[in-house]
Amino acid sequence: MSNKTGKVIGFCCNYTIQVTEEPLKEAGILPEQVEFKKLSCTGKLEVASLLAAFSRQGADAVFVAGCPEEECHNFSGSRRASKRVKYTKEILSELGIEPERIEMFFVPRQETEPVVKAAKEMLARLEKLGPIGHKDNEDGSGKAA
Amino acid sequence: MIIAERKPMPEIMEMISGIKKLLILGCRGCVAVCSAGGDKEVNIMVEAITLGKRLKGETIEIDQDVLVRQCDPEYLEPLKEKVKEYDAILSMACGVGVNFLAEQYTDTLVLPALNTTFYGANLSSGEWKEMCAGCGACVLHLTGGLCPVARCAKHLSNGPCGGSVNGRCEVDPNTPCVWQLIYDRLNKLNLAENMRKIMPIRDWTPSGEGGPRRRVREDLLP
Repeated sequence: MSNKTGKVIGFCCNYTIQVTEEPLKEAGILPEQVEFKKLSCTGKLEVASLLAAFSRQGADAVFVAGCPEEECHNFSGSRRASKRVKYTKEILSELGIEPERIEMFFVPRQETEPVVKAAKEMLARLEKLGPIGHKDNEDGSGKAA
Repeated sequence: MIIAERKPMPEIMEMISGIKKLLILGCRGCVAVCSAGGDKEVNIMVEAITLGKRLKGETIEIDQDVLVRQCDPEYLEPLKEKVKEYDAILSMACGVGVNFLAEQYTDTLVLPALNTTFYGANLSSGEWKEMCAGCGACVLHLTGGLCPVARCAKHLSNGPCGGSVNGRCEVDPNTPCVWQLIYDRLNKLNLAENMRKIMPIRDWTPSGEGGPRRRVREDLLP
């Protein structure tokens, strides 16, 4: 994986992943560029927090891993999160940033593998898109050259 | 309440081009209730502008604040000294707030982050509908409480136009014809006779045609 690929931040709820990223990285399961941020529930996520991952925390791609839509531990948390991801996509588009840099994944609870798969999916997207504001896309559009 | 919506980000980014220090100012009045300019929306705007500037390789210093209301002088008063620190204020209030800020702080550039759209009701979370036009000459006592000025595309006063089909408006078939709704409601209330009353030609002066409106109550003046 190129070091120009960029950084991925994944917001995961307590139920979708129960381990931290370090052992997964040590085991070679999770790429280094991925950072997890655990929440009690993805329904707690605000659009501002999702944007801040890009604007302040250096993310080039962001994903949210929440409970299956109809089986959220907190009833509607992951559904709320998916709506906020959708709105964040709209704002990114308006700013000239590819909306596919953020995605919602509904994943089975208490299984690590689907979250790792989501992270790898976002890294694969970054391979095509490049980092936000990378010198290959210095026109400031945020779009990869 | 007054309904508003965020302007597209490219328009906002263009507005703040060249601004080095910006105050993003929300309002906890109507625009907070309609999720356009309250605390949450101010937080979103701060991050969106920060990201937009980062993309352009530009820096900007942003502060944020949210007032109880931007349309009352007592809530603007604490800003009196603070506004001097900024190149501009990006107001997330309705147009009233933007105007009032601009009149109070004549040396500071005040920019609108929202488009103020209508007086409406909250149908459900995330959905608002126009119900009043603020025309200044209410006829709701004759129309079963449903407003033909705000809710008829042609603002008709005496029944539907010829384009009303199956209770739907010809301008937008997704919109019910308000005159059909008025008839149905009056009928249900045994007041269908109201439909026979001819409303006189409307005087649009109170709606603003006579210039900006002003209301004074002598008993409340300081």
